[in-house]
Amino acid sequence: MSRFALEGVHILDFAWVGVGPITTKYFADNGADVIRVESAARPDVLRIGPPWKDAMPGINRSQFFASYNTSKKGITLDLSKPKARDLAKRLVPWADIIVESFTPKAMRNWGLDYEKLRELRPDLIMLSTCMQGQTGPNALYPGFGQLMAALSGFYYISGYGPGSCAPPYGAYTDFIAPRFSAFALLAALDYRRRTGMGQYIDMSQYEAAMQNLAPALIDYHATGRVLEPRGNASARYAPHGAYRCADEDGNERWIAIAVANDEQWRVMLAAFSSDSTDPRFKTAAARVENAAAVDQFVNTLTRTHNAQDLTAKLQAAGVAAYPVENCVDIHHDDNLEAFGFWHWLEHKEMGAAPYEGLEHRMSRTPGTLRSAAPILGQDNDEVFRGMLSLSADEIEQLKKENVIF
Amino acid sequence: MPSELLKGFRVLDLTDEKGALCGKMFADLGAEVIKVEPPGGCSTRRIPPYLEDKADPDHCLYSIAYHAGKKSVTANLATDDGRALVGDLVAKSDFLVESHQLGYLDSIGLGYDTLAKRNPRLIYASITPFGDTGPGKDYNWADIITWAAGGMMYMMGDEGKPPIQMSLPQAGLHAGGEAAVAMMLAHYPRQIDGLGQRIVVNMQACIVWTLMNEQAMPFLHGNHLSRTGIFVGSADARRKMVYECKDGHISILIAGGTTFGNSTKALIEWMRENGFGSDWMRTKDWVSWIPGVFMKLTDQDRKEIDDLETTIEHFLLTMTKHEIYTQGLKRRIFLAPVADVADVASDEQLNARDFWTAVPHDTIGRTLTFPGPFAKLSATPIGSTTRAPRVGEHNDEIYRGLLGLTPDRLNKLRAAGSI
Repeated sequence: MSRFALEGVHILDFAWVGVGPITTKYFADNGADVIRVESAARPDVLRIGPPWKDAMPGINRSQFFASYNTSKKGITLDLSKPKARDLAKRLVPWADIIVESFTPKAMRNWGLDYEKLRELRPDLIMLSTCMQGQTGPNALYPGFGQLMAALSGFYYISGYGPGSCAPPYGAYTDFIAPRFSAFALLAALDYRRRTGMGQYIDMSQYEAAMQNLAPALIDYHATGRVLEPRGNASARYAPHGAYRCADEDGNERWIAIAVANDEQWRVMLAAFSSDSTDPRFKTAAARVENAAAVDQFVNTLTRTHNAQDLTAKLQAAGVAAYPVENCVDIHHDDNLEAFGFWHWLEHKEMGAAPYEGLEHRMSRTPGTLRSAAPILGQDNDEVFRGMLSLSADEIEQLKKENVIF
Repeated sequence: MPSELLKGFRVLDLTDEKGALCGKMFADLGAEVIKVEPPGGCSTRRIPPYLEDKADPDHCLYSIAYHAGKKSVTANLATDDGRALVGDLVAKSDFLVESHQLGYLDSIGLGYDTLAKRNPRLIYASITPFGDTGPGKDYNWADIITWAAGGMMYMMGDEGKPPIQMSLPQAGLHAGGEAAVAMMLAHYPRQIDGLGQRIVVNMQACIVWTLMNEQAMPFLHGNHLSRTGIFVGSADARRKMVYECKDGHISILIAGGTTFGNSTKALIEWMRENGFGSDWMRTKDWVSWIPGVFMKLTDQDRKEIDDLETTIEHFLLTMTKHEIYTQGLKRRIFLAPVADVADVASDEQLNARDFWTAVPHDTIGRTLTFPGPFAKLSATPIGSTTRAPRVGEHNDEIYRGLLGLTPDRLNKLRAAGSI
């Protein structure tokens, strides 16, 4: 039995930034050999993105990059140079899967598109992932997940009401698309095993993100109704939202609470040793109808409580509740701790730091973060000497010519 | 037609809104996905909003969207017969995904350990709000709870107002996608040695994963962000990321450096052509300007950013979302409209790629337009899907065709309330 699920799977990874590297991270953490092809001539944007070790920027000091590139090897090739492209091509027969995430014209211009590469490996599986897909008038749209989250509709539904905009942090859609692309690649790998056929996958991050908005899009197409932002208001729950708890160390604390029915409402009030005869709160439907008044009332109940203690109390009574955690809290969260979520890895330049672990656990072939992300060009010798049998002199020469760069 | 990619594999879907997307993804790739639900239909059949506000399962938009392509059988798990039927289905299935209260299926003889004895190939995924071992393993759940527990809620909202959730709950969708990936990861070694395994998906972790680089800020920079509405960055390095325009909002990334500097230059050029902005903006070397979003800005940086942001505010108010986006595309500026579903539905790129898919719904006498495939696969394309099944629509097909039950036996099970 293999120790890891994907032992023996080989991936040549030309991707950069978020979606591509997060996709191949699923493979790397599960035992596949993933070689990232990077270049100092055009470093991965994340290598220069914060946070950095000691808050000082540096090409090998970014945790942003480190988080998405665990368990991978890294080589450097400046693909704008023909010799570098030749070397990359020599790795193609080794690769079961190739992933790239440039704007669509880049790989074509370099002669590294699927049609060319499959000549070197006929059953190749290749994934191209970019903002808006390989075809169409806006295929060359330059952007990042922050913009895609706006373009695809997630910003719009984040707010307190029509006209209000309070978007999610960061590149939200970068965390939707990889689940679809990894799923498609794994299925394509199995299909190839059964049929011998590889294929090309054109993944538009826009189109992948749409899957998480499907009900609202179907509704609009059918009836013209536009989903508007509505804060925490819900048609199913009231109370439903974040309620202010006692401050801690001068910081605001909040608790999320969701109450679906009369029984939960009753036990919630009992947990607060409170009661209400307000007719607006009498039934679940009345509470949904009068959600603003319910929110106001619940805020008076929660305000003096410690958010964590209150969570334990409400949950014991049968009410859905949890502290609204910040990025410090999640590192001390008992449930994530029990799941073994955080991993400490030793990075060659950054030393030890906590990394997000896997979001699932498998019983028989569990994946894990096998190594910290590679520093730029870390595995050049192993790959060019070991896999391509270049001599030390040849490698030295290619480095001088900034081909291996 | 769904893709041929996973044709021949069977998935039992015992999830609710914590994982319905998982089965949808398998169905899109051609697997036979059988939704197993209680005789009255599962809770996902009654999630508002409803199409045309008709509050019945056939008009439930969540169900329409995320049960498309699946089959439905009913089984009353409170009865011995209902449980036995599911056990028999498991024996003929490749995957099972569920999101019941932790331990419930074990308590009725449908846990992994029991089922794996009948079908050692089985891959069995449980979607859980907080994992299977921690103090919260039995916690009550709603989507907003995971949004809060995963740290995203804390960062959404205006200062002085409560943190918020998106107005289309997302945590269950992330968890469903994660389950689909994990099940296919487990499938790979099974194809070699014939053995399945148990998977536990942690929903809280799925949302933590969406926090991008922010989760690492406390450890490396000793700070962390809180909700700042349409601004991004810590208090002393704040940037505006959403601007008003004539008919809505626009998001723009203003920054320097090799990646963003040229976009900022192009924006300034465009504004100057229209008489907005000052000369310093044009002469400044944006490509070598790198004040970190999370680092303290100099007074000069702050002054320049304020001036630039004010100029952009005035400039964008003269145009519509569509006009700005069109120019942004042409000039390669990092911007996007804050699109609502109407903007998305008329987007030229999605139309040019034939993204939208017509799905006939005889249940309600109309054809609905769905988002198309999540990827374009050259050898095994994902075509159109089929409408969500009615509750128990495939009882005959599955129980008679797959399990070989007689019509008589099926009637008895119906009469006893087992299906």
